[in-house]
Amino acid sequence: MAAAPEVSTKKNYLTALKEAIFEEFEAHDDIIAIGEDIGFLGGAFGVTEGLKEKFGSERVIDAPISEAAIVGVACGMCLHGKRALVEMQFIDFISTGFDQIVNMTATYHYRTAGEVSMPMVIRGPAGGYGGGALYHSQMNEAWFANSPGLKIVCPSTPKDAKGLLKAALRDPNPVLVYEMKELYRLRKIEEELETGDAALVPLGKASVRREGEDVTIVSYGNNVYHCLQAAENLEQEGYRAEVIDIRSLVPLDEETIIHSLKKTNRLVVVNEAPRTCGFAGEILARLTEEAFEYLDAPPMRVTRLDTPVPWVKPLELFVLPSADKITEAALRVCKF
Amino acid sequence: MATTEADQRKKKTTSYQHGPYSSKLTPDDYKELLLQLQLARYFDVRLIKEKKRGRLTGTLYSSHNQEAIIVGSLYGLRPYDWISPIHRDMPAFFMKDMKAGWRNPDRVGMSVQQVCCQVWGRVDSPGRARDNWSHIGSREKHIIHSTSMLAGTIPAAAGVVYADRMEGGDAVVLTYNGEGSTAQGVFHEAVNFAAVHKLPVVTIVENNQWAYGTPTYLEYSQEDFARRADGFGIPGLVADGQNVLDVYDKVMEAVAWARAGKGPSIVECKTFRAYGHGDHDDDRAAKYRPTQEVEAGRARDPIAVMKRMMVEQGIISKAEAEKYASEGKGAAEVTNDDFPPEVVQYLNEGIEFAMKSPLPEPEEGGMWVFREGN
Repeated sequence: MAAAPEVSTKKNYLTALKEAIFEEFEAHDDIIAIGEDIGFLGGAFGVTEGLKEKFGSERVIDAPISEAAIVGVACGMCLHGKRALVEMQFIDFISTGFDQIVNMTATYHYRTAGEVSMPMVIRGPAGGYGGGALYHSQMNEAWFANSPGLKIVCPSTPKDAKGLLKAALRDPNPVLVYEMKELYRLRKIEEELETGDAALVPLGKASVRREGEDVTIVSYGNNVYHCLQAAENLEQEGYRAEVIDIRSLVPLDEETIIHSLKKTNRLVVVNEAPRTCGFAGEILARLTEEAFEYLDAPPMRVTRLDTPVPWVKPLELFVLPSADKITEAALRVCKF
Repeated sequence: MATTEADQRKKKTTSYQHGPYSSKLTPDDYKELLLQLQLARYFDVRLIKEKKRGRLTGTLYSSHNQEAIIVGSLYGLRPYDWISPIHRDMPAFFMKDMKAGWRNPDRVGMSVQQVCCQVWGRVDSPGRARDNWSHIGSREKHIIHSTSMLAGTIPAAAGVVYADRMEGGDAVVLTYNGEGSTAQGVFHEAVNFAAVHKLPVVTIVENNQWAYGTPTYLEYSQEDFARRADGFGIPGLVADGQNVLDVYDKVMEAVAWARAGKGPSIVECKTFRAYGHGDHDDDRAAKYRPTQEVEAGRARDPIAVMKRMMVEQGIISKAEAEKYASEGKGAAEVTNDDFPPEVVQYLNEGIEFAMKSPLPEPEEGGMWVFREGN
């Protein structure tokens, strides 16, 4: 049989996000979208391409460059009973909308004793490794993990991107979605996607991305792939690493990690945010409290240095976690 | 201390024009407005007395001398309109939709019982006493929940009426702001958004001359804060904040404009903060503000201004005007006899209810961080 050129039905991370948005907009006419350049342009990366054409300019709002107003208007929409999808053009820019997120939106349910809930999703491209420099590379999720009332997710695969975003859009709480822009169009992670409810990925459930018995490496986002590479490296050294992608930071699935630690008794946590008060430190602290008895070695963190993210490649790679840095840390933990 | 520069600015003539007032209002409206001014004043002085007696804790942000702004702006609203008050507008929470009857449980405003429960930190507060003072609200009563972040609720106000308009509604939202908060970035972001989308957002600027300890000339380079409107291409009106009829007229002009789909506007109400930023600041405020300025600022008491107009128009007699005379007096000087009995009785009902309402259970402090289920 002559080999016909195979048409791939696999889809990339960006398409997955797009499908999630279109499916949820189709299914729920109470969702509105607001952000900079999301309508006419379809978003700086094209995540909302075609959304305005399909659902109209009333539901898909091209906002002025005003992150505080964007979040605040979305908050008002939710107060009135709608659901809102907010795009941050880059997650770095979220700082200019900070007060509206942490003081206005995150606290709304709490301060009204449950009268009002905020079904709002704030999503945006995040993370380093792309030469984006100081203001297009950040992982600032710790600011928000430190603000009670916000859920936070960070998908690393197309399936998770679609499933978590869909679940976030159905959640009655504000959810921040940290999208990995370096994964948006990465061919090697493309995969088949489900549609409708079958595509949902619940918030607060970790995913075991590789099984192993010698050390548990916990991460999320871009770094999951560095961890998987490190696991390959460790295999060469005779150690089998288990790689857990937490996917959700808040709420955190501690159970899956503890289950793994009972088997491996060794822990390395990896993320690309700065070290001090970063989320890796939080995971490490919680596991030390909850699972100290299972640990045979001091757990370790691999994080960005306590620096901003610099621009040119050698500088950027110097400060960010890499497969080699993770391998080195895991070996130290294994050989303790 | 205010400088020569400030004194010079005070000499400038204000740009608002007086009357003729509201041909739409009847003598009965005038009487109701006067009563509401007295109720707002009584609420203020009574709470100060309660605190002095040690029956109340927490900081009080007096609306003394600024009541005409609250009463006049609320009076012409439709029940379903939204409001977004701040700390100095505490009476607004229970005065919204008061025309439906002060004790009408169906009116789209909080009851005085609920507001008193909030003041006393009791569980029957609309927010179950989770945040302090004016930080309450009610979706059901169309009152946006306030926070301490000044101008921080204007974007939400814009979002509420955007959503309302999507559903075919014609609700207008009034947001209340001190003149100091107009310097916040979020003020500009939100009013700009409202202007772009021609949203029915009426932004009231209560210019009481002092942003805590900072005088207006260090807040803004122009005389009238209403001029903030120019940059957005929207109307900016100036009202005499001591005159409830002028406030009513100017706000209604802005409300009619908004409801007709023409977009937002700013209504600056010129007034004067009679006492400190909060009661904790009364003593210091007497030092950082010149006595002469304070005396001049208190001289046009909104209750006195209203009474004078009503006597002039023959709506009440001079004797009736003088019967209950709380105007021009501080909290320490007035007594219950200075207020109409129905005003005293109304607030008594609120306070009595609050005193019987329990404190929330401690474990409520850990509840409602997230909404469970859907």
